[in-house]
Amino acid sequence: MAFQTVEIKPAVPSSPLLGFWRIFSKNRMAVVGLVMLVVSIVVAVFAPLITPYDPQTSAGLTSGDIYNPPSAEHWLGTDDAGKDVFSSFIYGSRVSLIVGFFAAFISIVIGGVIGIVAGYYGGRLENLLMRFTDLLLVIPDLPLIVVIVALTKPSLFNIIFVIGILGWTTTARIVRSQTLAVKSRKFVLRARAIGAGNRHIIIHHVLPLVLPLLVVNAILVISLAILNESTLSFLGLGDPTAISWGQMLNFAFGRGAMSAGAWWALATPGFGIVWVVLALTLLGHGLEQVLNPRLESHHLMPGRLTVQSEAEVESTEKARRRESPVLLDVRNLSVQFVNNGTVAQAVQDVSFQLHEGEMMGLVGESGCGKTTLIMALNRLLPASGQISNGHVYFHGKDIASASEEELADVRWSGISIVFQGAMNALNPVRTVGDQIREAIVKHIPTMTPDQVDKRIVELLELVGITADHKDHFPHQYSGGMRQRAMIAMALSCNPQVVIADEPTTALDVMIQAQILELLDALRKRLGLAIIFVTHDLGVVAEMCDSVLVMYGGVTAEHADVDTIYNAPRHPYTQELLKAFPDLSQPEKRLVSIPGYPPKLDALPAGCRFAPRCPLAFERCLVEMPKQYELPGHHIASCHLVES
Amino acid sequence: MNRYQFLWKKIAWALFTILFVVVLNFFLFRILPGDPVRSGTRDPRLKKDAQEALRIRFGLDKPVIPCFETLNPIKPGDCAVNPFETQFFLYLRNLTQGELGYSFHTNRPVADVLGERLWNTILLIGAGQLLSIVIGVLFGMFAAWKARTSIDYGALITGLVAWSLPTFWLGIILLFWGSNNGFPIGGKATPGISSFPFLYQAGDVFKHMILPTITYTIVYMGEYLLVMRSSLLDVLAEDYILTAKAKGLTTFQILKDHALKNAMLPIVTIIAINLGFTVAGAIQIESVYSWPGLGGAVYEALERRDYPVLQGVFLLIAVSVVLANLIADLTYSFLDPRVQAD
Amino acid sequence: MKTKYNFLVVVTLLALIVSACGTAGPTTPVVLRVGWGGSPDTLNPGTGVLTEAYTIFALVYDTLYEFQLDGTYKLDVADSVNVADDGLTYTFKIHDGIKFHDGQPMTAKDVAFSLNLYKNNTDFIYLNAYTANFDTIEAPDDSTVVIKMLNAVPNIDYLLSYLYIVPEHIWKDYAEAPASTEFENLQTIGTGPFKMLEYSPNEFVRLGANKDHFANPPKIDEAIFQTFESDDVLVQSLKSGAVDMITEMPATAVESLKGDKTISVVTGAPFAPAVSDVIFNQIDPENCPTDVGGVCTGHPALRDRNVRLALSQATDKQKLIDIVLLGFGAPGLTLIPDGLGKWYNNSLQDYKYDAAEANRILDDAGYLDTNSDGVREIPDGSRPLTFRMHWPSDSIDGPRMAELLSEMWGEVGVTLELQAIDPDALTAECCPAFDYDIILWGWGSDPDPNLLLSVYATSEIPNGYNETGYSNPAYDELYLQQGVELDPEKRKDLVWQMQEIVFNDVVYVIPYYEETIQAYRTDRFTGWITDTPKVELSDVSSLIVVEPVK
Repeated sequence: MAFQTVEIKPAVPSSPLLGFWRIFSKNRMAVVGLVMLVVSIVVAVFAPLITPYDPQTSAGLTSGDIYNPPSAEHWLGTDDAGKDVFSSFIYGSRVSLIVGFFAAFISIVIGGVIGIVAGYYGGRLENLLMRFTDLLLVIPDLPLIVVIVALTKPSLFNIIFVIGILGWTTTARIVRSQTLAVKSRKFVLRARAIGAGNRHIIIHHVLPLVLPLLVVNAILVISLAILNESTLSFLGLGDPTAISWGQMLNFAFGRGAMSAGAWWALATPGFGIVWVVLALTLLGHGLEQVLNPRLESHHLMPGRLTVQSEAEVESTEKARRRESPVLLDVRNLSVQFVNNGTVAQAVQDVSFQLHEGEMMGLVGESGCGKTTLIMALNRLLPASGQISNGHVYFHGKDIASASEEELADVRWSGISIVFQGAMNALNPVRTVGDQIREAIVKHIPTMTPDQVDKRIVELLELVGITADHKDHFPHQYSGGMRQRAMIAMALSCNPQVVIADEPTTALDVMIQAQILELLDALRKRLGLAIIFVTHDLGVVAEMCDSVLVMYGGVTAEHADVDTIYNAPRHPYTQELLKAFPDLSQPEKRLVSIPGYPPKLDALPAGCRFAPRCPLAFERCLVEMPKQYELPGHHIASCHLVES
Repeated sequence: MNRYQFLWKKIAWALFTILFVVVLNFFLFRILPGDPVRSGTRDPRLKKDAQEALRIRFGLDKPVIPCFETLNPIKPGDCAVNPFETQFFLYLRNLTQGELGYSFHTNRPVADVLGERLWNTILLIGAGQLLSIVIGVLFGMFAAWKARTSIDYGALITGLVAWSLPTFWLGIILLFWGSNNGFPIGGKATPGISSFPFLYQAGDVFKHMILPTITYTIVYMGEYLLVMRSSLLDVLAEDYILTAKAKGLTTFQILKDHALKNAMLPIVTIIAINLGFTVAGAIQIESVYSWPGLGGAVYEALERRDYPVLQGVFLLIAVSVVLANLIADLTYSFLDPRVQAD
Repeated sequence: MKTKYNFLVVVTLLALIVSACGTAGPTTPVVLRVGWGGSPDTLNPGTGVLTEAYTIFALVYDTLYEFQLDGTYKLDVADSVNVADDGLTYTFKIHDGIKFHDGQPMTAKDVAFSLNLYKNNTDFIYLNAYTANFDTIEAPDDSTVVIKMLNAVPNIDYLLSYLYIVPEHIWKDYAEAPASTEFENLQTIGTGPFKMLEYSPNEFVRLGANKDHFANPPKIDEAIFQTFESDDVLVQSLKSGAVDMITEMPATAVESLKGDKTISVVTGAPFAPAVSDVIFNQIDPENCPTDVGGVCTGHPALRDRNVRLALSQATDKQKLIDIVLLGFGAPGLTLIPDGLGKWYNNSLQDYKYDAAEANRILDDAGYLDTNSDGVREIPDGSRPLTFRMHWPSDSIDGPRMAELLSEMWGEVGVTLELQAIDPDALTAECCPAFDYDIILWGWGSDPDPNLLLSVYATSEIPNGYNETGYSNPAYDELYLQQGVELDPEKRKDLVWQMQEIVFNDVVYVIPYYEETIQAYRTDRFTGWITDTPKVELSDVSSLIVVEPVK
């Protein structure tokens, strides 16, 4: 749900490689893996300089040299032939790395070619190649490798070849799906449209985008190849003339290291394998995170506690024009995001009151803090979000400082939310009826199952969905039905406040109108208070009682709907209205506001709208305007209002 | 596509795969070098006529396929030979009759040889897989839930290290440790207790299973942990989790009712794929712990060029992997209603 | 890491609980537990191949003759034997009152049936070899067996020691192929000192004592042979007391077991003689058995005795024994090992290890390093002394030996291309293909020298058992003679002469005769027979006399 987590982008790096390195170097896992790998490569390359003994020679050895414990002469003891374990261990890294890299190279080339060809050309060729890949996946590779190596000569070359030629299936699958994704990107289509050849497109457009993934995959394939080689050697199928760690283990296990108590001969080579494989795994895992960053947080991470930085200020809105009681009383609400030590002020000092039966429009451009504000009302902020000041009184209780249990009671039965994009807001693997039931059972535990069933049908019918859709899954609904189902769900526990977050975006005009009518009708019938978040000023004009205009996280203007449309005082409101088509004035020229809303971590010192404001003057750039109260419960934060 | 078409397509593909393995099985062992009549035993008592007698007994005197007496070395033969008198046809015919042939080595029916070993492997792999899935999934869930805490990093590192451990090496180390701490280290039971009460025997088998199962669990747990963690991390960032939270559900309810099922989807696939690899892991663990299972059978059969047994094992593995994939596909379609729509 | 630790603790606790339940089990009879590295391939004596199968057969069945650890034979179920003067007719008197394990009496009829079974079943390929010289076997009455021979042979005791007596009343249904080979014989009814209780392939064989045995009722109640996949695990099982005796163990463990007072290690010549050999491809191209797939690609230099002699003198056998066997072996001379007792020609003096002498021999014979690359060339300079050296990939000692030989022979200007080959592929390239230069392999064999002697015979080249391609008419003549010489002393002389011939021709380099290393727990059973020339604790002679330590 396009929930605006505040994004903090690093400064544009001078070169892509440097930029990659900058992100990479922050990933501790990847760096540790890289260092471990570099160490093993250095050790392998300079093995003759490091080792005190030549592991190929057994000159001067006697049976007294066999399985000697670690000593000053032999740091890691001696093996079953009296040789220095440390020296063999160092040389062993060569074989493991050689097998790993070369076998992986073969796998990656085969898998890469098959994956790209299948993904790029598609059709029957793709079908054929991928079916073939599927077939090979059925045959367990290690037993097959064992059989083939056993029946042919167990030379290093054969081992590399067999491991390489059987290890490409996962690569092919991954590369294919990435190619598929890249293929439909615009620039590829454009290149094709201007007549670029397939080869050219593959080499210049597809390959560069597939490559990063291929590198990550290659690293994992290398580690698998190293594990396979050591397993083969351990089973006695390795190249006995090459000192590899698996071979060392084979000798130690086969020639009585355990009975002789020679733990050093068993532990050392195993340590080598774990070292290299772990290095590769860490590197691969880290690289994957770098190339494919995950969200830094998820919805179940514990939220930050509310803090109160200032003493409570009397509500700026006292008794308002309405007689009906206040349901929701928001006072001086401020929300900030804390990311890696940087603080971004997403909402600052917003106050409003919502009365029974009132529909309040919450408008403003994207990134002005609307969603943050409504999430704060129910304390649904992401883990990095924090209420830094203010109160949200609901029935006299401050939600901002409520405990988790109290929150659970208020949520849905007090304040419910109609999320935008119901497709994602509904769990795809559970039926719609089930998801409604869950809320009812939670909040109205006294209902019998039969009553709940009846209630679900009622609710669905209320939003115009027939009862037979109850047990359908969200993907079986149309877009409009899903949104209506979402509304039904929001109403399921008789909430007093419903927050509708852009409930009609991504729907076609006819459906939009239906949904809006439905909301309005329900409000009137059930006496709900609704906060209606939208860009659409026309809808607001038609349906809302009051309007809160937000800009850069603060209240720009707050007044009843007539005032806002007919006598807006804040230049931002005025500009918004200019950008909005008015059916009564078809001749009106639409003017969009130049520029963008401010970044929340780099807010201007003065009025937040000042950089874009056509009326801005000196004071606007240095002093932030306070919220001026105008007659008729009209609030506007602009220096012009004061004068 | 409706559910039945989906099912049919899957089953048809599974059957085709098995057929492919059946054919591959036959030719693989005939293209690779080796003479089952002479393998393993170099014995002057085995005179030429005795070798010929063996060849006839194993049915190796017949041409492999029409036009070819043998495939390695390639020896052209009579193309006019009755195709029903070739090794390939007889192999297929026996298979359709459910016969896997007789072991060259022990003269016992392959089905019997594999049957008893299959159960041992299933016991070991079953216990190991179950434990590694449960532990891996639980720890992975816990890690994802507590994302970016020291618990998470601890679990992640544990998972990566476990994944990096060579199975046989871990087996040897645990064997070393276990033998000095009173654990039984070989076989699946203490011999000679067949007359003892059932519970005593079960306890004995359990004791023998401890070390191999721990080895197996540690190695495979890592992968499940990593996959579960990243899968759950993805799911927990989904919008419907926020919806669930907004509904006032507790963290436990959300994990149980909304996150787990969705996050398990990739795990199901991996379990199916792993089934093939488990036999590979089983070869290593069974050879370290003298466990009388399928892994050992592969190895022994290989040493003696016991083609009927090798063919049987490969067929068995392939069938179980295909079945596992089929079950995974079906499970997937139950877990995820969207699948049938594709 | 903490989580892992906790996990182990939980498992340990579980184990403790289970073992606590376990101690409540019923009391058991006196059970001897033997750990070994294999498992019988079958219980059908007609199709058995592995030595483990023969160990079990020896315990479960009786025979007319029994081989003893001192290298001699004694009558088993027969009380006496009468040999006709021409050596063609043997008349055995069978002991009275012997019963099969199922209670049925065993008579001469069963003996005759068994021998005929082995003789007539061509599918019993191994036992056929022993009955090849039998003409007729008859039982004129219940206590007499008459064997008529085609040719007189010197070693009927040896031939009969593998022909196990099976009950006619069971086997008569399986007397003919294919039933005879498909019969699994799980009950293994015989007359021996032990009877089959339970057989679980690749796990264990459980034998019960036949307390009614006519000659050797065992003192223990049961003997269980358990299979372990590696020697190391065998040693650990012995240490932990899971088994009471092990039939094999790595030499490297001997040192560490010496300190253990409860364990006694026994070494000596193995029951089945074991020879390791370095095979030189020396087949004369004229003898190449092309009709059976011979390609004969051997390096020509190896056909020259001088080269083989030089390599022999460049081989430090003691070092091989020290490093590969930790000293548990004796330097070898020919394929007839010291373990064969009187057949072993101990008068031969081995070629001394002397690299300088080896170099001199090669220099004299014209193998010079003409291009100074450190490797000698054959006299016409066309080919370097670079040999392919192969060994079976299932041998754990092979690579170690190859490594050492490569280094030793490097001293005399010979290089080796080392390569492990799958045993089966090795058989294929070895013989009769002769598509190799040097192979490291070995032989295990019967107590009679005949089979090992046949390996040098020209007649075995097409069969693939003459692995070197060595052909010497003088030797072939002697080989035929020893096969029909009835006087043991004269036969011994012939066998000694043959060894001298092949030793002088340097057909092989025999690195060593490996000793067997076995061990038992001294705190469990006593009475093990360890003072014989051959050591085999799982032999019937030990198993019938061991008894629990009091």
